[in-house]
Amino acid sequence: MKEPAGKKRKKEFSPARRTMLKGGAALAGAALLAPATAGAGEAAAGSGEILRQTVPARTDKDVQVVHSVCLGCNARCGNRSVVKNGRLEAYSGNPYHPYNHLGDPVDYATPVAETLALPSPVCAKAHDAPNYVYNPYRILKPLKRMGPRGSGRFEPIEWERLIEEIAGGGKLFAHLGEERHIAGLKELDSDEPIDPAAPELGPKRNGFVFVTGRLQAGRKQIIDRFVKDAMGSKNRIGHTDICGLGFRMGNFALTDKEQWELKADPWGAEYILVFGANIYEALQPGVNTYGAAVAKRSSEGKVKFVIVDPRAQHASVHAEDWIAVKPGQDGALAMGLIRWLLENDRYNKAYLVAPNPAAALKKGHVCYSNATHLVIDDATHPHDRKFLRIADLDPAAAGESGRAWVVLSAANRSPVAFDRAGEALLDEATTVRGAGGVGIKVKTAFRLMKEGVMAHDLDRYAELAGVPRAQIEKTARDFSAHGTRAAVCQYHGAGNYVSGTYAAYAVAMLNALIGSVEAKGGFMSAGGAAASWKKGLYDLRNFQGRRKPAGVAISREKAVYEKSTEYRRKVKETGSGYPARRPWFAFTKGGLSVETLSGIDQKYPYRCRVLFHYFYDPVYSTPGGYRYKETLKDHDKVPLYVSIDTNVNESNIFADYIVPDVTYTEGHYGWLNPHAPALRFTGIRTPCIEPLTGKTADNRCFCLETFLIDLAEKMALPGFGANAIPGGDGRLHPLHRAEDFYLRGFANIAWQAKVPPAAPAEISFVEKNYPVARFKDILPPREWRTTCYALARGGVFGKYEDVFAGGRFKYAVKRVLLYSEDLAAARNSLTGEFFPGTLTYIPPMDSAGEIIAAKDRDYPFAVITHKMNVHTQSRTISHLWAMEIFPENFVVMNAADAGRYGLKDGDRVRLISRSNNKGITGKVRLTKLIRGGCISVSTHYGHTQHGASSLTVKNGAGVFMGGRQVMDKDELIADPRRGTGLNTNMVSRLDENLADTPLVDLTGGIPDFSSTRVKIIKEA
Amino acid sequence: METRRSFIQKGGLVVLGVAGGIAGAEKVAAMSARRRKLGMIIDLNRCTGCQSCVVACKGQDKTVRGQFKTRLLTVEADDSPARLVFTPVQCNQCDNPPCVPACPVGAAFKLDNGIVVTDWDKCRSLGNCIKACPYGARFADPRHGRQADKCDFCLGRLEKGLEPACVEACAAGARIFGDFNHPQGEFALYLRKRKLAGRKAELKTGPNIRYVAIRRGQGGVA
Repeated sequence: MKEPAGKKRKKEFSPARRTMLKGGAALAGAALLAPATAGAGEAAAGSGEILRQTVPARTDKDVQVVHSVCLGCNARCGNRSVVKNGRLEAYSGNPYHPYNHLGDPVDYATPVAETLALPSPVCAKAHDAPNYVYNPYRILKPLKRMGPRGSGRFEPIEWERLIEEIAGGGKLFAHLGEERHIAGLKELDSDEPIDPAAPELGPKRNGFVFVTGRLQAGRKQIIDRFVKDAMGSKNRIGHTDICGLGFRMGNFALTDKEQWELKADPWGAEYILVFGANIYEALQPGVNTYGAAVAKRSSEGKVKFVIVDPRAQHASVHAEDWIAVKPGQDGALAMGLIRWLLENDRYNKAYLVAPNPAAALKKGHVCYSNATHLVIDDATHPHDRKFLRIADLDPAAAGESGRAWVVLSAANRSPVAFDRAGEALLDEATTVRGAGGVGIKVKTAFRLMKEGVMAHDLDRYAELAGVPRAQIEKTARDFSAHGTRAAVCQYHGAGNYVSGTYAAYAVAMLNALIGSVEAKGGFMSAGGAAASWKKGLYDLRNFQGRRKPAGVAISREKAVYEKSTEYRRKVKETGSGYPARRPWFAFTKGGLSVETLSGIDQKYPYRCRVLFHYFYDPVYSTPGGYRYKETLKDHDKVPLYVSIDTNVNESNIFADYIVPDVTYTEGHYGWLNPHAPALRFTGIRTPCIEPLTGKTADNRCFCLETFLIDLAEKMALPGFGANAIPGGDGRLHPLHRAEDFYLRGFANIAWQAKVPPAAPAEISFVEKNYPVARFKDILPPREWRTTCYALARGGVFGKYEDVFAGGRFKYAVKRVLLYSEDLAAARNSLTGEFFPGTLTYIPPMDSAGEIIAAKDRDYPFAVITHKMNVHTQSRTISHLWAMEIFPENFVVMNAADAGRYGLKDGDRVRLISRSNNKGITGKVRLTKLIRGGCISVSTHYGHTQHGASSLTVKNGAGVFMGGRQVMDKDELIADPRRGTGLNTNMVSRLDENLADTPLVDLTGGIPDFSSTRVKIIKEA
Repeated sequence: METRRSFIQKGGLVVLGVAGGIAGAEKVAAMSARRRKLGMIIDLNRCTGCQSCVVACKGQDKTVRGQFKTRLLTVEADDSPARLVFTPVQCNQCDNPPCVPACPVGAAFKLDNGIVVTDWDKCRSLGNCIKACPYGARFADPRHGRQADKCDFCLGRLEKGLEPACVEACAAGARIFGDFNHPQGEFALYLRKRKLAGRKAELKTGPNIRYVAIRRGQGGVA
């Protein structure tokens, strides 16, 4: 097709347009238009140009189209770019990707040429991508600090020197009058103990801490290769905690640590209880997938849903009901619902009495529960709190059979191995005969769970949750009226606060009680990757000299305090080993970025020597992140601080070095698997345009991978450089550029997924359109052809129905726990008390065990946050079109509350918390859609960096994307539009008992997003 | 999705030589011989308020800050429990568009396919059409001497065999694009089975964007 003319307007003769107006033959085929064959009609009135230039389309001849994976958020939808003259013009979705098509994309075998014109949606964030990629405040060259930390003074540094300084260390800032010797990475490449007095903490290597913000598979593997496998540090730490560790802890406990993300199946459920999941504005899968599927099916009357959230959210538009639960009280509500199910016999007893996989499968369940398994509830028994095992009854039973769990057979009430009974007794407390005839007091897991639930009556739960009893009863009745086609969709809101582990466990338990875990239409995990990236044609995991990290992570995640030198010393000194100086987290999913930074701040359990962080802005994104400004500023706590990012942000403003990175449009190679629920696929992300950052002497772009590879080569670390990657053919291959790694990963995926070699037309489609094709010689032609098949389609995909066989989910978690032995074995490292192994109501408390709501009662408003559908966390302030629709955020407040305080819509107010009495200010927005006594503030606004403030950058015109447009000599010109609104993380509650660091849950290390309370003061 | 896809397939991809064999060329030719009336059905029971249509539209023409060819009206309905209602709005491509007679120079006119367009060579930036539009769909574009612009169902994309940007952007399928004179697929189903309402029906403009109101509460068409 011709490009619409009309770039130059007025007077210009435009044959194409005239043809259209006159109804000529050129358009006769474009059936959607009205070729005015039957008389010109109104069209005859026109005589000139009616079309102005539109953006290039993917069906144009002179554009490049790449199928890739979005990173507007972490939802992992497919995208399809339109690139013209090297510039990203637009994105649509990928027709092969189930996330763009509500689980039902085109058949994977469809030739690419047949799909190019097919519509495929993406969300607003993806449409805003060009503004993100060409953000004038992006940095393209490496920066080195040119003034004190946080002064906002930087200068460009040559790439080679950057590598030398960070690897080698030295007096790196002597020219600024800073005479300290700074240890480079090379000094940490040592097996000496980091603390000779506490060898269990591991080697000096652990002084290298690498915290990752928005990490995804692909880059995760190359970072792990560098940090863990080459440097040998334990401290490659994710940010799962601030992402949403709370609800994950509930699922982690429920599934015996097998899975942490399960959700209601939006394609099959009849009823969804949406617990703190913002399904129309955020979530992963995102608004394009989960919210859209729920909306569409809801419009067809196929699914009903109820929102449980202090804020009614956008999804209120189609919701059956809104349960405005009190912040931090999701657990009380869930326990109330469970109590009603138990008392009204509305739980799935037939499911719960099945004690093993075979018995459950006979009843149609692919996942069984341990409801009937016996737990030793006997303080005199050495295995108290653990499951009763056959060996406890018969010491002669050895091995596997000795370790088998025990149930009471429903046939004769006798204790038998769990796999020997078709059905077992559910609600029992009894004494069994152990070895030598000694009685052992036992209870079923169900009984222990029930006791936890029955500790409070329904009225009490209703009061704690702030929800009418009748609403709880109605909801429980409806939830249990759909067989296994009902489930909870639990996310960030339901449990991301102190004590959240137990709240989230209770919420997750609802699904187990109706037997919908892993059922079609129930509470499902994800189907996993289409194929593995790491093996097959190349071994991308193992290499000569690969190190195994040892010791304790600085976050103390998955580490047992009682094994520490500190504990033994305290036992010796005081008789009790408690309290630990800071909490340890034996039972956690991990990814504890908050306790990492608090550990760095407190130099506990050891000192950080070198801090790297990637795509991460902890000061902005952590509740209470303002506390870390002093941490990052402190040369003693963070002797060398390196940030890898696309921007100067609120955290790396303190960095010694900032390494520029590419965006997902130019890089972020990766293999992206589905989030829960259901589906099985691997999306492949490759660049759509050439990198916009600077280049090394050998023409590699400045980015994460080039940085890590060059550091590794400089230090001669294993796993990088020549001979780094073993091939299946016994040969060794180099890892000198990102593509050396990722293309081999893609080849592995294509090979293992058994995709056919691409047809010549598709090979040429890839070679003509995809920047990665420049590196095709990395792979032998045969491998390239197969890889092209996957590249041309943006991955390897299936449909929703493909994950079921005979209606049963093929990739199910096999077991859910009503009682978790591992959770019960973990202790509160500050008190030494065991954590409960099953449901228990625990209110949000600080580390001293004080209830925060009571302690902060002089602060009348509870603060919650929410995401907006056009934004993602800290990094979308450059999304100009989103900012045009919503130029600022607000203190969203209940209109009735505002009336009492004499506040009107638009009034400016100050929010003051117990931990920040200077407070922050913002504008009030009144609504009925938030619970009284709560305010909600969206994330994304309230920036002080990302272009919101000026900086001094020597030769900045060569550093920032915007060049001279954003520089006035060496001063960056701030854009006030990027500093609007407020960020409540700046007033979050800190823990006075733990060095005023941000609050964390003592069980799992969950940060707190719901317990901060504020006073609201009208500003003059 | 299937219905949307087959709709556009039947609609004329053959012309582009992209998806040969999907629809017969003869059929397309036959269809194109009849007068069309393009329009949209928007099912508010599907709209999640995600703004994807608004930003996709923005990306098409990159209108100046503050000007949108499609927007999302968001109101708090007075229901119990409280709820939001979203209504995407834009030019209705009316049967009797008040903007057309309002233009003294005849720059605004209706194509045979029903789309109301402007002859840019004729438009003298008088602004009468802006005032005449009861939906506030038109705006004076400072990039082009304040000529009045508005939604044209992405005429440029239609010509290339693509759906309007807002329609493609809608993952929930709330926006259903079609031909009122020759309805097919889901569009036809909605015409047959659902109660549809245009905005400000009392003005008798004959809007060709028709809405399905929210099933419950007071979720009418804004």
